[in-house]
Amino acid sequence: MKKNNFLLAFFFIFFFSLQSIKADEAKMIQGLEIFNEIAGCAGCHVLKAAGAEGNVGPSLDSLKPTQAEVQDMVFYGLGVMPAYGEDEMLTEEQVDIVSFYVANSAGK
Amino acid sequence: MTKSKARVNSSRRNFLTGSASVAGLAATAAIVPITFASANHKDGSKGLPEFINWKNRDALIIHSDKGIETHRSAIGESIVTPNANVYIRNNMPTMTDAQIGNRKNWKISVSGVKNPKTFTLAQLQKLGHTTIATILQCSGNGRGFFAHKVRGSQWKTGAAACVLWTGVPVKAVVDACGGISSSAVFMTSSGVDHAPTGLDPKQAMVERSVPKKAYKDAILAWEMNGDPLPNSHGGPLRTITPGYFGINNVKHVGKLSFTDKESDVKYMKSSYRISPIGKKGPQYPTCWEMPVKSWITRPTDETGTVKAGKVQIVGVAMGGTKKAKSVKVSVDGGKSWKKAKFIGPDLGKFAWRQFALETSLSAGTYTLSSKASNGSDTQPELRMENRRGYAHNGWKDHSVKISVV
Repeated sequence: MKKNNFLLAFFFIFFFSLQSIKADEAKMIQGLEIFNEIAGCAGCHVLKAAGAEGNVGPSLDSLKPTQAEVQDMVFYGLGVMPAYGEDEMLTEEQVDIVSFYVANSAGK
Repeated sequence: MTKSKARVNSSRRNFLTGSASVAGLAATAAIVPITFASANHKDGSKGLPEFINWKNRDALIIHSDKGIETHRSAIGESIVTPNANVYIRNNMPTMTDAQIGNRKNWKISVSGVKNPKTFTLAQLQKLGHTTIATILQCSGNGRGFFAHKVRGSQWKTGAAACVLWTGVPVKAVVDACGGISSSAVFMTSSGVDHAPTGLDPKQAMVERSVPKKAYKDAILAWEMNGDPLPNSHGGPLRTITPGYFGINNVKHVGKLSFTDKESDVKYMKSSYRISPIGKKGPQYPTCWEMPVKSWITRPTDETGTVKAGKVQIVGVAMGGTKKAKSVKVSVDGGKSWKKAKFIGPDLGKFAWRQFALETSLSAGTYTLSSKASNGSDTQPELRMENRRGYAHNGWKDHSVKISVV
């Protein structure tokens, strides 16, 4: 009985880990799309992972921002950077996804 | 539209930094080895960006390729900050030599005057010639000490420098144009560095209006500490507004106009406004005149442990738009103060004075603070809380902890 419980627990953990890895991968793919196609971040930023070579704002590979930092910047903007969230150019979900993407791509 | 000065009266709170890691030697002629607190000095993981590869890497903390501040102890051992150590903070990408073209042919148009004219740099150089010392300081210098989550570069003391600018007095330019229009209330400078980006000028142009009176001390500079004004510092021509925060010293200036209204670009209307936390808008005062301020440059937590005995506590003190009158130093976190001596030449009210207090310290830890006065205002203990962490001049946050052995 104990052995079965153990196997069951192991199976569920494994299954959910796979789901979460898959979810993260999906987020990265979506994030790249938002970065390049929807928000046009590449126009102003360097991010090697996205093939971006913009030279207006700081190089994201140099800055290596945390997800929270990206979130804040993308939502509220700063100086010439638009307030993508506040001005509803991106949905909150899109802001989340692109922030996750940038934080996990910068400097890589 | 606001006419109020950015006069900041300050109040509460405290925040102290301090950590030390690998020792290194500043390649400036500084006697003081800087212990690098910033991880980005290790393994060459953050090198100097190409466009400023002539600068002194050891003197700088690289936040990003566009936000680079000077180490506390590399601000200059003899008042003036060497170009190689001066911080970088540009809202737009630095113009390249190709974009600038022939420097002597750089053009600036002057309007809001009796006879509007366009001058080339070569023509400006015939109108007049002067050299002035001023403080270049980012409005956000000290933002890193604020306790609330503040957006923007987390500068501590290093977004500041004392620089000798050479150029033509704006007065001479104005005279050559027959004088300022009687209806003018502001002097407005417009940079052209946004142009190569193709971005909307209302969002991207660095255009700043300052009160008209600023024209009397302002110059259009083409030289910085004796070198042709580097592109990264706004070359070939920059408006210098002595006593005003850095943003008003418009880089790559292509237009000087005397206007009856403030500029309505984003960098004037929305950015650089000093507002309460949680509030924003163009009705709040903009970052104009700098307040009285000082800070100790050595010894600091970066310069390593101090040997017990005679110690020279050295720093810089500025009066803003007035002369720095005096500065006091404390070694016990502000419980008691001693007057420090100003050392070296007085380069005028817009420069800072270097100060030194000679004292004897026995083994132990000390909190060193400095507090300057310009005759009318004295540095407050606490920062004035504001949304974007601007204009910090509270002495408590600028204190440093040292160990004496």
